Amino acid sequence: MAKTFNFEIVTPVRVVYNGVVQGISADGTEGAFGVLADHAPLITELKTGIIMAEDPSGKTMHFAIEGGFLEVVANNVVVLTDTCIKEGEVNIEKARAEKDAAEKALTKVGSAQEKEKAQAALKLANTWLKLANVH
Amino acid sequence: MLSTREIKQRIRSITSIKQITRAMEMVAASRLKKVESRVLASRAYTDRMHQMLSHLVSSSSLETAHPCLVERAHEIPVIKIILITADKGLCGAYNNNIIKKVVKFAEEHADKTIRLVHIGKKGNLYFSKAGYSIEKYFPENVEKFGYSQVKTLASHLFKGYEAGEFGQLYVFFTKFHTVMQSFPSHIQLLPVEKGAFETKEKLHREYIFEPSADQIIEHLLPKYIETQLYQCILESLTSEYAARRVAMIAATENAGEMIDELTHTYNKARQEAITKELLEVVSGAEALVR
Repeated sequence: MAKTFNFEIVTPVRVVYNGVVQGISADGTEGAFGVLADHAPLITELKTGIIMAEDPSGKTMHFAIEGGFLEVVANNVVVLTDTCIKEGEVNIEKARAEKDAAEKALTKVGSAQEKEKAQAALKLANTWLKLANVH
Repeated sequence: MLSTREIKQRIRSITSIKQITRAMEMVAASRLKKVESRVLASRAYTDRMHQMLSHLVSSSSLETAHPCLVERAHEIPVIKIILITADKGLCGAYNNNIIKKVVKFAEEHADKTIRLVHIGKKGNLYFSKAGYSIEKYFPENVEKFGYSQVKTLASHLFKGYEAGEFGQLYVFFTKFHTVMQSFPSHIQLLPVEKGAFETKEKLHREYIFEPSADQIIEHLLPKYIETQLYQCILESLTSEYAARRVAMIAATENAGEMIDELTHTYNKARQEAITKELLEVVSGAEALVR
C-alpha cells in the first residue's frame, strides 16, 4: 500500500475534510502540482479550482475551492480557503444563476475592481459546474 | 405593612417580569447555540492560519521586511483600538469588564494618541459620555456584522496603517471559554507581533515557497487580519449571549424567590386580617350577651 499522509481542508465556516490520503493534486498560482507522502515542506498559494485527493482505498475525491493557501509540513497538508464544496454538494441551479449574473456583470461597464470581482465569481461558478460534471 | 391588595399586585408584576426574563434567557440560549458552533468552526481556521503564518515568518528569509511586521510604535505614537461590545445591556458585567480594560489601557498609554473604533452600541455610549474622541462607530448590530463588512474594515485599516495613520492596532474583545466563563482580552493586530509566532521548538525546516515568500506574505497577511478580526467579533458575540443567558437565569431565579417571599407575606397578611375580623365579631357578640 502506498504511504499515506494527513490532509485537511479548512474554511472559516467548517472543516470540510480531515483524513488520511494517498496523494493530492491542486492548482497553484504557478501551475498544477501534486503532493505525495514525504513531500518537502511547502507553502503555496492556490487558484480557484478543483483539488483532487485519493483516499487509501484508491477512491478519488474532488473539492471545489475558492483560492487559498496550501501548506505541506511533516506529512501534514493543510488547505485554507474561503469556501469549499465537496462533490455531490453542488447546487447546479445556484451555480448557473451565479454564472449568468457574473457574465452579465462582465458585459456592463464598470470599474476595474467590479470587473475583477465578476471575473472571480464567474470562475468560481464554472468550477462548481465542473465539479458537478466530474462523474 | 402593605395591604393584601398591594402585595397581590406586586406578585403579579414580578410574575410577568419573571416571564420576560425566562423568555430572554431562552432567546439567548438559542442564539448562543447557533453562534457557538460558528465560533468553534472558525477557530480551526484561525488557528491554522496563525500556524501557517508563523511557519512563514519564522522560517523564511524575507527579502524585504513587510511593513506590517516592522515595529514602528516610536515613530507614529498613535494607537488605534477596535472595541467590540454589545448593543444591549442586561448581560451582566459583560460590557463593563471590557470597557474597564480599555480605560485602563488608555491610562497606561496616556503619552500616545488613542483612536477608538466601536463595534457595538454600549462601548460607543460609554466613551462618548466619558469624553473620548471617537473615530468611527458602526451602528449596525454586532450580530449582523458579517464577513464582507469585516473585509471592508480590514482593508480600510490596512491602507491606513500602510499610509502611516497609526502605529499600532489593537482589538479589545471578550474571548469565549465556556458559558460560565469568558475573558475580556486584547490582541495586537498590527504590526503583527513576531513574538506571537515564536514556536516552542525552533523550526529548522527549509520551506519551498511558491511563488515567493514575499508574495505569499503579501496575500496572506490581509487575510490573516480579516480572519482575526472576524474571530474576535464571533468570540465577543458568543460571550455576550452566554453572559446574557447567565444573567437572565439569575434574574429568573431571583424573581422566583421574590414571589415565594411575597406569597408568604401575603398569606400572613391575609391570616392577620381574618383573625382581626374574627376578633371583632367575637368581641361584638360578647358585648351583646352582656
